[in-house]
Amino acid sequence: MSGAAERQKTVVEPTIFELSSPGRRGYRFPPLDVPPIDPVEVFGENQVRSVEPDFPELTEPEVVRHFTRLAEMNHHVDRGFYPLGSCTMKYNPKVNEDVAQLPGFTRLHPEADATDSQGALALMHDLAKHLAAISGMDQVSLQPPAGASGELTGMLIVRAYHTDKGNPRSKVIVPDSAHGTNPASLTLAGYEAVEIKSDSSGRVDVDELRRIVDSETAAIMITNPNTLGVFESRISEIIEIVHGVGGLVYMDGANLNALMGIVRPGDIGFDLMHFNLHKTFSSPHGGGGPGSGPVGVTNRLADYLPYPVIARDEARSRGIEYYLDYERPKSIGKVHGVYGNFLVMVKAYSYILTLGPAGLRRAAENALLNANYLQHKLEGHYELPYKDYCQHEFVLSASRQKEHGVKALDVAKRLLDFGVHAPTVYFPLIVSEALMIEPTESESKRSLDHFISVMIDIARESEFTPEVVKGAPSRTPVGRLDEVRASKDLDVSWRRG
Amino acid sequence: MPYVPNTDEDRREMLREIGAKSFDDLIVGIPRELRTEGDLDVPGPLSELELTRHMQHLAAMNRVPDDVVSFLGGGIYDHATAAAVGHITGLPHFYTAYTPYQAEVSQGTLQAIYEFQSLITRLTGFDVANASLYDGATAGAEAVLMATAISRRKRVLVSSTANPALRSVLRTYLMATDLELVEIPMDSGVTDVAALEAKLENAGAVLIQHPNFFGLLEPVDRIGGIVRESGAPLVASVDPVSLALLKPPSEYGATIAIGEAQSLGVAVAFGGPLLGFIAAGRKHARRMPGRIIGATSDAEGRRGYVMTLQTREQHIRREKATSNICTNQGLVALAATVQMSLLGRAGLSELALQVAAKTRYAAEQLSLVRGIKLKFGGAFFREFVIELPFEAGTAKEALSEVGIWPGIKCGCYYDDMPNCLLVSVTERHSREDIDSLVSGLEAIIVSRGA
Repeated sequence: MSGAAERQKTVVEPTIFELSSPGRRGYRFPPLDVPPIDPVEVFGENQVRSVEPDFPELTEPEVVRHFTRLAEMNHHVDRGFYPLGSCTMKYNPKVNEDVAQLPGFTRLHPEADATDSQGALALMHDLAKHLAAISGMDQVSLQPPAGASGELTGMLIVRAYHTDKGNPRSKVIVPDSAHGTNPASLTLAGYEAVEIKSDSSGRVDVDELRRIVDSETAAIMITNPNTLGVFESRISEIIEIVHGVGGLVYMDGANLNALMGIVRPGDIGFDLMHFNLHKTFSSPHGGGGPGSGPVGVTNRLADYLPYPVIARDEARSRGIEYYLDYERPKSIGKVHGVYGNFLVMVKAYSYILTLGPAGLRRAAENALLNANYLQHKLEGHYELPYKDYCQHEFVLSASRQKEHGVKALDVAKRLLDFGVHAPTVYFPLIVSEALMIEPTESESKRSLDHFISVMIDIARESEFTPEVVKGAPSRTPVGRLDEVRASKDLDVSWRRG
Repeated sequence: MPYVPNTDEDRREMLREIGAKSFDDLIVGIPRELRTEGDLDVPGPLSELELTRHMQHLAAMNRVPDDVVSFLGGGIYDHATAAAVGHITGLPHFYTAYTPYQAEVSQGTLQAIYEFQSLITRLTGFDVANASLYDGATAGAEAVLMATAISRRKRVLVSSTANPALRSVLRTYLMATDLELVEIPMDSGVTDVAALEAKLENAGAVLIQHPNFFGLLEPVDRIGGIVRESGAPLVASVDPVSLALLKPPSEYGATIAIGEAQSLGVAVAFGGPLLGFIAAGRKHARRMPGRIIGATSDAEGRRGYVMTLQTREQHIRREKATSNICTNQGLVALAATVQMSLLGRAGLSELALQVAAKTRYAAEQLSLVRGIKLKFGGAFFREFVIELPFEAGTAKEALSEVGIWPGIKCGCYYDDMPNCLLVSVTERHSREDIDSLVSGLEAIIVSRGA
């Protein structure tokens, strides 16, 4: 069956606005038990809007059906494999979702007195302590609401530290394999990005590093293992070189899943880092947030952490054990309107307690094992630019397939037809036609074997029937979408007619 | 280990296939002296039953509405959420999905965000809204960066009546830039327009909040007029519920609207996750931070949605991106979209009218108590400031003992308001709740002979 014919069965879901009919309502309020007001009288004519916002009008079953139909168009972790490199799409345990819905958490107002929020403060305090234990950092702030926010927080801490020492310095070094958020975050913190090339093994070129560091080097941002799935085995030298010029060493913790129980960044000399609770610590990605990007630092940087800090007073001198400490004169300030994404913290905390020390290490080991198994099984069919054992992820290149006109993007789209999510493509930038694959520990050998057979089939198709791969996907609710048109004829809000 | 399927037998077989003797072979790239010895110092493992018990214990240590009658607000509001919202956000199709980079298998997420954007544009009166930001405070900081990129001027004026949390975050974001932050004082609880006018020359951005932190309506027509004349972009921080009744920011001269949409279907949850939004005119779309979803079609003409204008973003532009933002608040935006769809046109208006009526009733009843003054004149929405004859903390502590939280102590944020409370009312408050606040405060004032 041709793609078009298969897809004809799917019906495009109208927008919520097109489903609207005047006079319908999906929610009812209790009758008003105080005198009503007239907005014009209360607010004044010049403050009141002339027409109501053009919101849709539907009943509850219509709304629920609409969003359920939309839901069914999504790929998701509970449905199938998600080998997205650097995204750590591990399973999201259900009990975490349940405990995060306890009214004692969801209905707690952030302005409640510390006496009335001891449970939440204890949880945050202990989560920070556990993250410190896992990473070898001394202190952790949970406030940054996402990984990129954690990076910005980290870079502002770097800036505050150097400023305190007399000169904020001007440059931060990032490897060419880094996530785009790294250069974007350090720029926001007022630094200039200095890119350093990777060597032939995919690691930071240490000799080059030695040449480019100087007294203006504020820090280096290192993802370890890096985005090629390679451990920076000369990390001690890298740290020594940067420390040698008075710079700090920041770890992007996006790939921390590979290290739990195996290496603690704080032990090996990193000064600060961020965590992604939505990657390593199993909180769901939610279709793009909410995330959480705590920042850990060693003691010499602790004064600069965002305020308030969740502090503990075991003596209960003020009658309470946990409290919010705002007396932090050297703090960089607040990076979130409140204390960060609390419900995400609840899930990460539950995950750590469920796994315990042995479980965390076992998760990391199996993430590595699964990745190496896939790498080994696929390297005969796709180009493998870096051939060492990988950590939790690895990067293939579709360069062989390209000889038949099939690009990495085509392979990715063809995977969708087999019910598998695509890997991360065209990243890291230093590998042409990159396919970046991270299986996580959640996948069984059976699930990996299925992926392997699909990948081999696609390699074969690329050779013998490349047009099928180039025309993919054909079994998804829509085909490849016209991105140029989307950007040119910008339509970002539904309008009648 | 309930979440790791590989058995010891699987592991042995996979290692054999790989050609490794043991797991240690796989980590040969990690120098031995860098490896952790022994177990991590974390508790666990806990069974599901033990974990649930522990979490219930922690949750029970917090006091929440229903245990108490709470009038806490200040930017985060305990509205009722329609039951259907949690059922939709609880679908694994939504909450276990990744960012919609692969559009063909993410149409559900993409269309829902497109609808979120469409609803935000309807509230704010602008053409373009993004897919959401972390919260109202960071949205304010991002909007100021965007505004100064438009104006190419360096001085940022922010009204002292804007939410203190937003101003704190803004200070942090501007710390490392060459932008100068100037706070505009207040006059009778609203932005001092004369003081603003005096500072406007060569200003790069102006940020106000409307209704402001005290619930007061700002003189937006006057502010919009003078700011527009100065050429500085006006950033209006707005309450989406208020926009059911109040003039949208596009109509009083704002260039960018931002705000916190937690009030539309999102739990207070100790302040996170929240839901920031940003909207502006079409000509500024390419300067907007964060993700934007656009409609387009596939080769067969079928309508579909993609992440668009990606060349603004960090994964393409790296250090030249409009912002470092990678993710949005996807699932939270979905919750708000479902809540707004259920409320609909009439429900949104009724919500705002109920909130306005109950707030007004509460203010009127409190102002009748001898010893309580409304701190400010002027119209207000959803919250207001009362002044007591003594330090506000005293009243707060005494009332807490009888299960009433009367509001936020203004003295925490404004040194010259030690006796003031910010009282916030939602549709959840019954007349009896409000009356109990009034009689509770009256009793304390009487007992202190004030």
